[in-house]
Order: sequence, then structure tokens, then C-alpha cells
Amino acid sequence: MQKPVKEIRILLADDHNVMRAGLKLLLEKQPGFKVVGEASDGHQAIENAMTLRPDVVVLDIAMPKLTGIEAAQRISAQLPQTAIVILSMHSDEGYVLRALKSGAKGYLLKDSAESDLIEAIKVISEGKAFFSPEISKVLAEDYVREIKMRGVEDSYDLLTLREKEVLQLLVEGQSNKDIATMLNLSLYTVETHRRNLQNKLNLHSFPELILYAVRKGIIS
Amino acid sequence: MDRRRPDSDMGVNRRFDRLVLSTRLALVAGFGGLLMVITLGGIDTIRVLEEIRHNGQQIRQEFLSRNHTLNDIRSNLYLSGTYVRDYLLEPEPERAESYRSTLEQVRTDMDSALESYGSRLDPQESKDYAALKVELARYWDVLGPVLKLNAYERQQKGYAFLRDEVFPRRMAMLDIANRIAAINEQQLNSGNNRDAALLSSFQTRLAVTLAITLILGVALATFSMRRILNLESKAHLQYKDVVEARRQLENLSARLVQAQETERRSLARELHDEVGQALSAVLVELRNLSTDLAVQSEERLSRHLETIKDLVENTVRTIRNMSLLLRPSMLDDLGLIPALRWQAREVSRQTCMDVTVSTDLVSDDLPDEYKTCIYRVVQEALHNCSRHSHATAVRINVLQEPRHLTLSIRDNGRGFDVKQSKGLGLLGIEERAAHLGGKCTIHSEPGSGTVLAIDLPFTQEQNAKASERNSNLVSG
Repeated sequence: MQKPVKEIRILLADDHNVMRAGLKLLLEKQPGFKVVGEASDGHQAIENAMTLRPDVVVLDIAMPKLTGIEAAQRISAQLPQTAIVILSMHSDEGYVLRALKSGAKGYLLKDSAESDLIEAIKVISEGKAFFSPEISKVLAEDYVREIKMRGVEDSYDLLTLREKEVLQLLVEGQSNKDIATMLNLSLYTVETHRRNLQNKLNLHSFPELILYAVRKGIIS
Repeated sequence: MDRRRPDSDMGVNRRFDRLVLSTRLALVAGFGGLLMVITLGGIDTIRVLEEIRHNGQQIRQEFLSRNHTLNDIRSNLYLSGTYVRDYLLEPEPERAESYRSTLEQVRTDMDSALESYGSRLDPQESKDYAALKVELARYWDVLGPVLKLNAYERQQKGYAFLRDEVFPRRMAMLDIANRIAAINEQQLNSGNNRDAALLSSFQTRLAVTLAITLILGVALATFSMRRILNLESKAHLQYKDVVEARRQLENLSARLVQAQETERRSLARELHDEVGQALSAVLVELRNLSTDLAVQSEERLSRHLETIKDLVENTVRTIRNMSLLLRPSMLDDLGLIPALRWQAREVSRQTCMDVTVSTDLVSDDLPDEYKTCIYRVVQEALHNCSRHSHATAVRINVLQEPRHLTLSIRDNGRGFDVKQSKGLGLLGIEERAAHLGGKCTIHSEPGSGTVLAIDLPFTQEQNAKASERNSNLVSG
């Protein structure tokens, strides 16, 4: 966890110069933000990330040579401290889940990038997840519609209050240990809660949990 | 042969006609010749056998009749000797006279017999025959005066005459007759020999005929066989040509579908990446500008900017939808199942159908044409469902087995009569499945919903590939 007062060093990767320049202009205006490098394709993004070791990498999903998702995968594997935001045209959950699985913490729609990017960088540099409000809306709507259409029980209602709390903290980026401290529980109990809630929701990976939380509106 | 290049089709036909004609001609000539040789050989055989039979009969008959005549002559000769003796030794004139007249009768008989023998005379016998004739004439000449003797004279000279003249002459004549008989016998033998010669020459001829028949038959069989084999190999070649042509046609149409898909993909990318991105960039600039302007509170300008921003946003959305419709990028980016789920969600959003995708693990490295095929089939089927079926729920199931991939799309709509109406969409689905060697079956009845199923077999290499990895999937 980094202190917010510290300057956030950012690497921008987008193959469209105009877009990149626009985003750079936007970020530079923000106090405490510094764009330390730029890249116009996936390979370059990885190279620059390795040398510059930025706090945040902003990756466009559609880039030549190597896609943003593949680049995110490699960067997050090499630099676990670096937070990644994916910029995408797609609001589909397939893409969101793929981005999460590749290690990205944030997922922004390009249309609204400039209004949400600053907020997103702030949130994910604190270790939490961030999604465009549009994404959260679409995913939540789909979820509600599915439940309505199929008449199935909302598995969220199966969770106990404690489990809901644990879920909330988990998807906000807290570790099991942090959660134990915050809720004044033993680490073992937190782990049990986590296992139970995952079984109840039938979600067996962290990215799926995050996606679920977004759909349920637990995080935005 | 002559001018083959121009109008080669006609040339081929003409050559073929000529080939058929020459073959037929050769077959007719060959079989005709063979049959003719066999017929001629048969006729010749019958003729020769008939001739031999006829000859043998004739020879035997002639031999018998001549032998008979000769025997007559011989017996008459004995008789004449007997009568002459009786005549000479008979004291009684009346009885002597009767002997004499009988003797005359015998002479007449002998003469006629000799005459009849003379008419059928063989050149070999002529000398002996002439000698016999001369001897006989002399015999009768000698006898002539004797027959005129009276009883006394007969008694006086009779015995001496018999002893000195009649018996020796009779012996000589019998000798001659025997000689003639021997010649006659020889004649019979020579006739038999002639028959034997005829038979042996016939045998040779028959052998030659048989040899010719055999040679001709073998030649004909060889010729026919070669012709037939030749025609067979030509037919085989032609068949192979046809198969090859059909394969090429199939290849071509498969490539056509592939080319269409590639083009769609590049078009979609172009639309999405270039136009969409550029517009997005414009949007960003516009927003930056509007933020700046807002600070200076130029309200009218800012309103215009808002309008422009909305327009661009709509345009971006439109372009994205168009591009996704042409070729959904998630098919390439995320794989088949996420793309199908996306499509299901999109259709659920836009229509009142609940579309679900269920699947067992489908490997991520499915060949592109399989992904495209299934994706397009689902697209078309969902389109049909939303337009015609009035269904409220559609279930898409993708099942991957070691050797094939099955896709089924089941709706709870009102169904239709499969035999009656089959739109272009269904035909397109069938065509796509057929390109990958698959089958498409549709079960539907009015009022009972529709099940569309597709079965795509894997080729060997895809089999090996598909069984390797089942990773990077969005599990459901």
C-alpha cells in the first residue's frame, strides 16, 4: 500500500497517438500524477514497464503485436506491485473477466476514460478494483435480468451477514489477514468464511468474485 | 490427329467416335473371321468324311461285283471243261447233243460276263484281261472242230484231246483269272490306301484349321482384352478427373466462405480500430475542451460541444455494433464460448428471449473455421428464433467429444413444418456445416418448438490438438 501523498508514476500504452496525447494531457493536469512513459504496442509496454517500474500501467486492450490483455498478464506476473488499468471498447463481461484474470485491477470503457481515469488510477493504486460505472450498470442489469427470467434464487441471499462482510472486504482488495484484523476474527475463521461463501456462490477464483461483486453492485 | 488445339472438345469427341468405331470393326472382323474359320472347318470335315464313306462303299461294291463276275467266269470255265469232257465221252448222240448245247450256253454266259467285266476294266488289268480274252477265244477255237465230231471220232480222239488241249488251256485260263482276281484285290487295297491318304490329308487340314482358329482366337482375345483394359483405365482416369474436379469445387467454395470471413474480420477491425478509435480520441479532446470552456462558462459554446459529443458517442456506438455484427472481435480475442455467451446476452437484452449457453469444456484452440461456423450458425439460429418462433427461452449447448463437436439450439417456440419451409438462413447453416464435413438436423413440428443440431467431425490432426488443452475458459 502506497501513501496517497506520494506521486503516482504512470505508464500510458495506446496505439492511437491522439488518444494517448489526450489522456496524457488529462493526467498531467492532475496533481500528484506523473506520466513517466508511453508505449504504442504491447511489447513496448512490457519493455517500458520493466525499466520504469511504474505504479500504474494504463493499457489499451486493442494494440498491435501484443494485446493489452497479454501485456497485462506478463506485467502483473513480473511486477506484482504495479497496478493495471485496461482501456477497452467492450462492456461485455467476457472481456472484463479476461482482463481480471490477466491481473488487471481496473477496467475502463474508452468512451468515458477521461472522466473516470483519474478516479480509477487513484482507487487501484490503493489496491482496490475499479470499473467504469457503465460496466457496473451493464453487468448488474444482466444479472438482475437473468435472475428474473430464470426465476432462480439469488445466491447472494444465501450468504450470512458475516460472509457478506468478508466478501465486501475481499473484493475491495483486502487480504485475509487485514480482514481478520478489521473484523476482529481469527485468520482461520476468515478463511472458513471465504471458502463457504465461494462454495455458496459457486465462484472459485478471485476474478470471478470481483466480477460477481460488480454485478451485485457491491463495488463499482 | 489433325488440328487438335482449336475446338478440342469436338476433337476429343471425334477421336472417341473413331476409337469406338475401330474397336467395333476389329471385334466384328475378329469374331466374324473366327466363326467363318470354324464353319469352313466344320463343312470341310463333313465333306471329307462323306467322301471317305462314299469312296469306301464304291470300292467295296466294285470289288465285290468284279469278283463276282470273275468267279462266274471261273466257274463257267470249270463247267465248260466238264461239259466238254462229258460231251466227248458220251457215247449216246442225243445226250451228247444236249451237253453240246449246254456248252454253247456256258460260252454265251462267259462271253457276256467277260464283256461286262471288260466294261469296268482297270488299266492295270487290261493286259491280263486281253490275255484271258485271247486265250478264251483260242479255247473256243480249239473246241470248235471238236464239237462237230461224231460219236466214233469222239471216242477215238476225245480223251487225247481233253488231255492235250482242253485241260492245259483251262489251267492257263484259270491262272489268268487268278491273276485278275489278285489285281482286283490289289485294287481294293489301293482304294483303301487312297482312303487312308485322304484321311491323313484331311487330318493335316483339320490340324491347320484348328491351329488357325486357335491363333485367331488368342489374337482376338488379346485384342479384346487390351481394348477393354484400355477403356477401363480411361474410364478410371475420367472418374478420377471428375472426383478431383468436385473436390476442387468444394475447396473453392470453402475458400470462398473463408475469404468472406477474413474480409469481414478485417473490415470489422478497420471499423472498430481505426474509425472507432479516432472518434474516441475526438471525444476525449472534446471533453477536455468542454471542461476548459466550462471554467470560463461560455454556455452556448458548451451546449454545442455537448451536442457534438453526443453525436460522436452515438457514432462510436453504431460503428462498434456494426463491427461486432460483421465479425465479433471476442471470437478472436476471447474464444468461442465467451463470444457465444456475449451473443446470448446481447440477444437476451434486445429481445424477450432468455438465451443460455451451456457447454462442457471446449478447447480454446479450436480451428478458426470451426469457431466461425458455430458462431455463425448460432447467430443465424438466434435470428430465426427471434423473428419467427415467438420463443421465450433458447438453450444453446456445445459439446466437445474426442472425435466431433456437437451444437444444439433448442427453443420453446411455436415450431414449423420442416418439410415445407426452409429459408435461406437454414440453407446457409446446412452449407456451413457441410463445408466442415458435418451434418445438420432440424426437428420441429408446428406447436412443439425447434431443435437444430449440428455435428462437426474433427480431422485427425485436430483430434490430437483438441485433446491437449482445455484452458483459459470462462467457466459457467
